[in-house]
Amino acid sequence: MITSAAFVAIMLVGVPIGLCLCLAGLVYIAASGNPVLFQSYPLQLFGGVDSYGLIAIPLFILIGEIMNGGGITRRIVDMAMAFVGSLKGGLAYVNILANMFISSILGSATAQVAIMAQIMVPEMEKKGYDKTFAAGLTAYGGMLGPIIPPSVMFVVYSVLAQVSVSDMLIAGIVPGVILTVMFCLVIALMGYMYNYPRADYQTPRQRLMTILRTSPTLLIPIVIVGTILSGLANATESAAVGAVAAALVGKYWTKEFEFSQLPQMMLRSGIYSAIVLFLVAAAAVFSWVLIFGKVPQETAGWIQSAAKDPVSFMLICNVILLIIGTVIDGIPGLIMTVPILLPVATDVYHIDPRHFGVVVVINLVLGLLSPPVGLCFFVAAAVTGAKPGKMFMVTLPFFVISCVLLVLLSLYPSLSLILIK
Amino acid sequence: QAKEFRLGLITPNGHSWNKAALKFGDELKAATNGRLTLTVFHSGQLGNEPAMMQQLQSGALDMGFIQAAELGSRVPHIAAINAPYIVRSTPAVAKFVRHPAAVKLFEVLPQETGTIGLGWGITGMRAVFSSKDLNSLADIKGMKLRINPTPVYRDFYSSLGAAPTPIPTPQVFDAMANGQVDGLEADLEFSWNQRFDKVSKVILQMNAVFMPMAAVVSGRVWQSLPAADRELITKTIKTTLDAQIDELAGNEPALIENFKNAPIPIRQVPAGDTEAVIAEFDKVWLPKAPVLAELRKVGATL
Amino acid sequence: MYKLYIWQSHDKSSGVGAFFMIEQTMPATRALSLRRTVVRMSGALLAFERLALMGLMYLLTALILVNVVTRYARFPIYWIDESAVYCVVWLTFIGASAMTRLRLDFAVTMLTERLSPQHQKLAKVISTGLVVVFGVALTITCVLWMDPVGLARAGFDGRKLAAETFNFLYTERTQTLNWPTWVLYLTLPIFAVSMTVHGLANLLEDLGLVPRTPPKGFELSELDGVN
Ligand code: NA
Ligand code: NA
Repeated sequence: MITSAAFVAIMLVGVPIGLCLCLAGLVYIAASGNPVLFQSYPLQLFGGVDSYGLIAIPLFILIGEIMNGGGITRRIVDMAMAFVGSLKGGLAYVNILANMFISSILGSATAQVAIMAQIMVPEMEKKGYDKTFAAGLTAYGGMLGPIIPPSVMFVVYSVLAQVSVSDMLIAGIVPGVILTVMFCLVIALMGYMYNYPRADYQTPRQRLMTILRTSPTLLIPIVIVGTILSGLANATESAAVGAVAAALVGKYWTKEFEFSQLPQMMLRSGIYSAIVLFLVAAAAVFSWVLIFGKVPQETAGWIQSAAKDPVSFMLICNVILLIIGTVIDGIPGLIMTVPILLPVATDVYHIDPRHFGVVVVINLVLGLLSPPVGLCFFVAAAVTGAKPGKMFMVTLPFFVISCVLLVLLSLYPSLSLILIK
Repeated sequence: QAKEFRLGLITPNGHSWNKAALKFGDELKAATNGRLTLTVFHSGQLGNEPAMMQQLQSGALDMGFIQAAELGSRVPHIAAINAPYIVRSTPAVAKFVRHPAAVKLFEVLPQETGTIGLGWGITGMRAVFSSKDLNSLADIKGMKLRINPTPVYRDFYSSLGAAPTPIPTPQVFDAMANGQVDGLEADLEFSWNQRFDKVSKVILQMNAVFMPMAAVVSGRVWQSLPAADRELITKTIKTTLDAQIDELAGNEPALIENFKNAPIPIRQVPAGDTEAVIAEFDKVWLPKAPVLAELRKVGATL
Repeated sequence: MYKLYIWQSHDKSSGVGAFFMIEQTMPATRALSLRRTVVRMSGALLAFERLALMGLMYLLTALILVNVVTRYARFPIYWIDESAVYCVVWLTFIGASAMTRLRLDFAVTMLTERLSPQHQKLAKVISTGLVVVFGVALTITCVLWMDPVGLARAGFDGRKLAAETFNFLYTERTQTLNWPTWVLYLTLPIFAVSMTVHGLANLLEDLGLVPRTPPKGFELSELDGVN
């Protein structure tokens, strides 16, 4: 009780979340009358990141840095344009497809929105789309980032839940593809209602040339998946191999990447990883004191009295997580809720931890796209100058369809488990 | 006076060690009319084994079920129990860990680790699951083998000519499926739960090593307990661990039957193959853990 | 609201100027020289952390690639996984220290951004002050845990310390590298101290006691997200 009160109080003053978690842990120990726990405190902080699965995070972020620096992102958009650009609402499809493609390389929603909004929104505006809609749509496209593998959120989840990283990544594929298809259906419908513009007509020959010219970017996901399937590397190591592939494509094909840029890219990847990883460490300390105080056990009792079966439990979780997601960001949200909800899900309702992870992650990602706090909207707004609040309103159909996906997932766990052996 | 104990262990809910821990708590509570109670923290909720050891030492955690690998990495004397071919079957393991010679290993624990050992619990003899054909120990030569990364196992499998490869536990199945490693070694219970038979061509029952767990109490906490409570805890944990050992050994035939029904062969290492391996191993480990000689003598009688 | 605090890079050129200002125009009273020492220490630490972060990222990538190659060549190196894990642990705490100074972190600003500028400044000071509080508290827990005084009293003999205090920290080694674990744990006291220094430097800036000094050598953009 004291821990949570202290936590909320200092969080509202604007103290960084990681620090809030650390401080709340100290406050709990001080209040528990068990000062011997202070001695274990540093080691728990250390133990929170002493985990093989987390190695993937710096490597995933590094790939994104190299791709962006090497002009590879730009070419992916060109490719999507050659495929679907000339349909009604063509650029909207391009946006979603390019996002899906980039999602197969990048692991983060906000990074993806930042990259894609710079490229897609001016393009869409030029063709006559409303800027707010274009920016909002790009934000939803970024939602695919943490759902389609690789995904930093799934990596963090797999460490919290002690499940295989590759299982988690695979579990995201089907829901991610369903979401893409649903988004495209919404675009078709809205395109018909609002008469969306088409992109410039390209002759079949032009399209073929674009596809040929941009196809080497395909090497990066192919290398990642190929090294895993051939047994050359595991999911973590494939990210390092993928970074090498991205550097080579950037250097020798797009010719926009220089090895002299590498030190700065390494530095940025290091710093951005540290932001995520320190949160993980802080959460480890926080959940350790919570567990010591048996908070999860008590919460479990409360939820059990409210939910009678797995489906109603999942629906309650959806509501709780969506509410949490509206004010708290993806990874911190994961870190604060999973230690409490997961034991209930697996022990009481016998829900597969991997399926549960998919539902939790999608909920929290959707939180990035809902008021009052929607980090993806803010990023899109920062890049394009559109208004975040309006963005939510004009893209409401996408929010609704995402909620439909969540209900479907809660009813049919096989949607996330189907590809796992 | 009333006391609530905390017991930590690394295995997930449903593992036979966890069942034993819960049963221990129930019996403790029943025997004291609720004066002594126990909360079990499973799946490493309080941290991994090194973190739990630290909490046991400081007195933050009262009890733990700690694997011999963790204790052995701190105390070579304890690592001796992981040595190959002390005993050669799971029923023999069940007898061995209750023999006074095995229990006597705990004598070094207070001084070396700040904990008190109350008894051993077990898993069965470990087997090698391989994606290439294996008939004898000689065939292990040249294999990339995922092992539990305890020094004793590394020395043992290296001496067989394998290239020991550490892979984090949750990723072992995938590593085997996509060929990052040619094989893995694990106990049969865990292997059946993970269905390693689905990614292997053959199972070779090594009958060489096993991974027991020690039920330990924080030295600091132990000092603070009245003698009567210590006695009660010692007695209760002994009966629970006895039951765990007997049940695990009793379940093994059914487990082997399961694997025999799987479409891949399950083979045994011929006993004659092992003498040279033992000699090489003991050359390194006898100086580090002289107690090994006595353990071998005891093991041979079981 | 959520906000990714990012140091604003637009006045990159004025960074040097600001530095000169501290050097030249401030009267050299003792209090001021103390403030300057803190800022300078923080600057030196940050410069070191910058290099360490780059180095650790290169090392991590190299370790992972070497692991792939050697395993494929059937000569797996036993200690690489463990080294990579500890590499990431050090990256975490060195990076966490650097990002304190760079004011780069997730924070909830939903409430504070509705406050008056004066109250906002107060909230900022409280928030930065808590960084210092945490840095000091973590230093204390590290001292309790690593017991340097006890170790010195035991003649720097880890086994003797263990026998006397039940603190076995200095007798443990890692599983595959076989390094003493306390060497790896050193990242925590280092983090605790450097975070305290950075926190103090930020606090001095927030109180208006020293001018803001933009950090050098970090080209961070507001656009790169982290989740
Ligand atoms: Na992704
Ligand atoms: Na939100």
